[in-house]
Amino acid sequence: MASELMKNGDGEMSKDERKVYDRQIRLWGFDGQNKLRATKVLLIGMQGLGAEIAKNLILSGVNSITLKDHTEVSILDRCSQFLIPRDSEERNRAKASLSSAQKLNPNVKVIVDTTPIEENVDSFVTSFDLVIATECSPSTYKRLSENCRKSNVKIFIADVYGLFGYFYQDVNSAYSLYGEIFPNNAEIDTLTSTKKLPQLYYLTSALLKFQSDSNRKPNPDTSEEDIEELKSIIHLQINYSSSDQENKDDVFEEYYGELFCELSPTTSIIGAMVSQTALNTVMNKPVDKYNVFFYDHIEHEGKFHLL
Amino acid sequence: MAATIAGVFNPELQNLIKESKVLLVGAGGIGCEVLKNLVLTGFSELEVIDLDTIEVSNLNRQFLFNKESVGKAKSHVAKTSVLKFNPNVNIMSHFGDIMDTKYGVAFFNKFKLVINALDNKKARSHVNRMCLSCQIPLIESGTMGYNGQVEFIKKGVSMCYECNPRSEPRTYPMCTIRNTPKEPIHCIIWAKFLFNQLFGETDEDVSMDEDGKIGSEKLSARNWAIQNNYDPKKLFKKVFFDDIKVLLNLEHLYAEKNIKPVLLDESLLDQEHTKYSDVLDSEMLTLEQNISMFWDCVTPIKEKWERSANKCLVWDKDDDMMMNFVVSCSNLRSAIFNIPFKTHFDIKSMAGNIIPAIATANAMIAGQIVIHALRILRGKFEKCQNVFLRSMPNHKGGVLVKDKCIQPPNPKCNVCSSKGEIVFVTDMHNFTVRQLEELVLKKKLNMVAPDVTMLDRVIISSDETDGVDMYDMTLSEAGMTNGCSFDAEDDHQNFRVKIIAYDKEKSGEEDLDFEILNNINDLRTANEQNNKTKPDENDEDDDDDDEDDCVIEQAASPAGSTVCDNNGGAVNYVMVDEEEIGHDEVTEEIGNEEEDTEKISNEEVDAEEISNEEKLAIKRKADEAIEDINDAKKSRVD
Ligand SMILES: [Zn+2]
Repeated sequence: MASELMKNGDGEMSKDERKVYDRQIRLWGFDGQNKLRATKVLLIGMQGLGAEIAKNLILSGVNSITLKDHTEVSILDRCSQFLIPRDSEERNRAKASLSSAQKLNPNVKVIVDTTPIEENVDSFVTSFDLVIATECSPSTYKRLSENCRKSNVKIFIADVYGLFGYFYQDVNSAYSLYGEIFPNNAEIDTLTSTKKLPQLYYLTSALLKFQSDSNRKPNPDTSEEDIEELKSIIHLQINYSSSDQENKDDVFEEYYGELFCELSPTTSIIGAMVSQTALNTVMNKPVDKYNVFFYDHIEHEGKFHLL
Repeated sequence: MAATIAGVFNPELQNLIKESKVLLVGAGGIGCEVLKNLVLTGFSELEVIDLDTIEVSNLNRQFLFNKESVGKAKSHVAKTSVLKFNPNVNIMSHFGDIMDTKYGVAFFNKFKLVINALDNKKARSHVNRMCLSCQIPLIESGTMGYNGQVEFIKKGVSMCYECNPRSEPRTYPMCTIRNTPKEPIHCIIWAKFLFNQLFGETDEDVSMDEDGKIGSEKLSARNWAIQNNYDPKKLFKKVFFDDIKVLLNLEHLYAEKNIKPVLLDESLLDQEHTKYSDVLDSEMLTLEQNISMFWDCVTPIKEKWERSANKCLVWDKDDDMMMNFVVSCSNLRSAIFNIPFKTHFDIKSMAGNIIPAIATANAMIAGQIVIHALRILRGKFEKCQNVFLRSMPNHKGGVLVKDKCIQPPNPKCNVCSSKGEIVFVTDMHNFTVRQLEELVLKKKLNMVAPDVTMLDRVIISSDETDGVDMYDMTLSEAGMTNGCSFDAEDDHQNFRVKIIAYDKEKSGEEDLDFEILNNINDLRTANEQNNKTKPDENDEDDDDDDEDDCVIEQAASPAGSTVCDNNGGAVNYVMVDEEEIGHDEVTEEIGNEEEDTEKISNEEVDAEEISNEEKLAIKRKADEAIEDINDAKKSRVD
């Protein structure tokens, strides 16, 4: 693209870029925009939530984004994956998303990587400034969290289950690792002894336990069995944790019906919340007092917590 | 689309999603995101309307558009883009104005739900009235910068958009603009006025024509410019030297003030051309560079003006020459009044009232809109409290926070309650029926085609065939008396309101042409305060000498307002804190503002739900927009 440079040197923002980014530069300034222009992002998982995050980060004008996904397009993507055109012949999710993703902003390098994250060496994350992971197994999240902490790379881990969603962040190496917060035990014991946990923690923890036991998320095809399974996990976890939480598993009745697939309203909310929090971190305005965010689709509230 | 896959939603909701016809008003920042979310969720009967075309500055967030679509209709391109990922949905796209009478009750009645993703107060009020009248649930939304909000509106269930008066834009007394500017914004407004006077539609701009009065028998600036063929150097001398000398001769203007213009050095009149093209818009120009910029932009604008249809240009912040005109004039005037310069970037924010806008805030609001939509379809209205998006977590970590419960309708609302009435105060012997229609009913009360009757006598009729023409009469000639009441109604909006009119002689030039109050008590309070404040009226701002009755409505801040997604619109001005005015860095100010908000909430540790202060702060930022005279015209042209 032959864009006129405002100043000599390749690193300067072109007039074209200034025009496109005008409305956000008026919010976070030229400094902020230049920080974004230097940021290399790894985005793991290109289902609906990944598509939202990719969209937000590419629009914002980061330097590059690597879309990493080894899995194939599924019919469930139609609930929230808007970067894959219906007539696409590509089977791989990341490849199928590439063309629409790149069109969002030609100034950003959009790269596709189809190697499973599990096959990458632990130091893989060090070539990025920011890692955002979605749709991995809980054990992969645990490993990623440890690797990023070791290499001082900022990491965000996010998932959406139906209309419910959450994310975890480690932006200052100050608080617990992902695996410490979500240990995936049948009983929740690591944290409960010291802290009063938010209700949605139990739901998240049960969903993750379900995922590691069944090697998948709850599925609309098997919704009834999956709900039963989740209920029993929650029941167990709550019973093993502090005693004053009697009957607490009942409070989730309303939630169970909307936990399947990644649904668009919530991928939109979580995708934007995790993107903006990540962008703010890059621009030196991290939300540094908290590490977990839950979106409550029944109460429609989005809150940060320190767990 | 989730609703076509069994097991994702319960069967009842699944059917409701598939079958419910939804109207989306606006395909901008929030609109694009909402359309995507609706289609993915499985809504398959949609109509979308927008009167705008795509601009480059939309592309950082309106992701259904790209460079190739610049200049095309938003609604059509948005439809084409979503059909790529879901071809199995019926979307009808309208390139038009929702206030057009062809979108009447019959049109609205087709829908189960209406979603507003608009950028101006006028259209929002209009859709509010249409939905109240048709008893259709409405989801109202807005974002500004990091903030945003979602409101649920249903007749008899919740507050309507107009239940509480929305804040008014900041106003500046004309005399400050004309004679005693103190802040950069005053010079920027003056520069836009000068532009209008030279190239705009002057006959409507009373305040500017009166400028000629200053030096008794002077020509209007426009006629002077025409006689001198818009010679840039002569114009420079006239506006920035000769006119200032005239001002200085009016000693009473500056007698008791610490403000006084200082004449520029005469050597500047024929200075060498100073290069400014390599100065970034975020950097400050020198006085000499501003002068060169002025000389360079006058002729191209004049040529454009000559080519224009009826010799009338509308100032446009996206036109480089017009923007340079305002930058240079505003800074030159600042130099004369010892006010700091502003950068091109900052002046554009203030003059264009640009609201900053980002993709993420729009996406969060759009997600919440569709969650509300799902609750509304199932009739769970009690679950649709207003939701606010904060820029930073509150003391409890909350970022998306909600009202504790649905806000009930205001029983005295002029719009959604039959008991509403309005108090209208004016000088009945001077205020004309035409002014009543244009300024009060259309501009202030957002009617489209008003009818006015008093004791069965028609005073204004929206139906021309009625042959009622009392427009040139004063209210008193039309039969109105102090304390009389009349009905104003808009059939199209199915909106009627009782107006009680009071006569108040205009005692001084500084009096407003009219006032609208919500009830008679407000009038009494206002009068008492008036009487109290009279003695010390001589303080800085609103004083004396050469006052005009015209108050300029202008956005106050760099974060001021335009074009965006839910609030701005090339169309609007937004009310922002006064503290935000006159700083140097737009972004810094926004940062500061957030911190202030944060402080407020920290103090209220035990407030369970979102505090009123927070709400007001968010609303003020996210929701308030009012039309600018120029830009409103522009929008009609579309
Ligand atoms: Zn109301």
